[in-house]
Amino acid sequence: MSFAALFLISVVAGFIGAMAGMGGGVVLVPVLTFFGLPIKEVIAISIVSVIATSSGAASAYVRDHITNLKVGMFLEMFTMSGAIIGAMITVVTRQRYLYIMFGLVLLISWIVMWFNHGEFVPETIPDRFSRWLELHGSYYDQAAGKTIEYSARRAYLGGPMMFGAGLIAGLLGIGAGALKVLVMDLVMGLPAKVSTTTSNLIIGVTGLAGASVYLAAGLIHPELATPIIIGIVAGAFLGTRILVRLHNRTIHQFFLFILAILAIEMLYKGIRGL
Amino acid sequence: MASHPSSHPAPAASAGLNMDLLVGWILLAGVLLSLTLLLCGALWHRFATGTLTDNFRLAGTNLLAFVIAEVHNLFHGALRPRILISSGIAVLMITPYIRVLASMLYFLFEERNLKYTVFTLFVLSVLTYSLMLH
Repeated sequence: MSFAALFLISVVAGFIGAMAGMGGGVVLVPVLTFFGLPIKEVIAISIVSVIATSSGAASAYVRDHITNLKVGMFLEMFTMSGAIIGAMITVVTRQRYLYIMFGLVLLISWIVMWFNHGEFVPETIPDRFSRWLELHGSYYDQAAGKTIEYSARRAYLGGPMMFGAGLIAGLLGIGAGALKVLVMDLVMGLPAKVSTTTSNLIIGVTGLAGASVYLAAGLIHPELATPIIIGIVAGAFLGTRILVRLHNRTIHQFFLFILAILAIEMLYKGIRGL
Repeated sequence: MASHPSSHPAPAASAGLNMDLLVGWILLAGVLLSLTLLLCGALWHRFATGTLTDNFRLAGTNLLAFVIAEVHNLFHGALRPRILISSGIAVLMITPYIRVLASMLYFLFEERNLKYTVFTLFVLSVLTYSLMLH
């Protein structure tokens, strides 16, 4: 595949990913495998590009003081371990199972995103473990025009669940940001802004853990790196800029619809036994 | 976000805020440097060979061996576009690592928080191990 084609596909993948509120990897992996690239090499380069998109986004959020570094550090212990094990599984797994797992994860996270409109309930009493972990903080909400205080709860549940999110990230070469946000929102009761921004921070370390396993396995193909990494960052940047201005549910759902098609494509490939 | 003129420092900015800034700049600098290296590598290759496609492969290696090999190549006159592309990947992978290292030093020396120093040390150790895999 030519440099220009890889670049364009990556821009579109980053763009759609951002518009649907997910990372670029979720779109990149199905599209590149559709064009015949080997799934393991695509997963490997995708997880490297995940480091770029998540770190780029995280840098802005951290400087805005919304990200909670302690929540990030605590959860990174779990996602990172999961990612290493996930990537090790991918290295030895047959391709068709990777297609099926990718399709299933896409489909499940899609369903969850479609139905999840949960609102943050601030008055939760943190358990002793979460208090011991000092998982509390505050941030200035520009839309509400006031400082929001929060504290996490059920960290004993959130941690192990993050291991699962990390496992999926390492296994499939995606950030699995939607899953991470879900755990932080629903299980740990963090405000949506804090969980979204903190998830970006965590994804960087998760991505690195997975990428080092793929590097060791010789699956990182530098030829693919330049067009894909630059393309996906550019696409995600554009998507985020446009998303801020649009805020249109219909458009968001249209992009979720595209993700559903990708999920079905991956499942079909896996079941047919390619 | 409103800008903060340097002539008007925030009153009694807590150490936590400074850590946020440091982490933010580490991440931004790492990503921008990596993208620049990748882009320059691709352009250089384009001018040298007339094509953007450079078919080379990183045999199973770890980041440390990878960086050493690149530096070795550099000092033996084998300066090729691919060193920029490889360095771009290496810088990108090192970026979250440096961020964790900075967090650990911060928890250890600034906040004197033993709990979080141990947590970050654990993350750092496992990442170091994974970077040594081969």
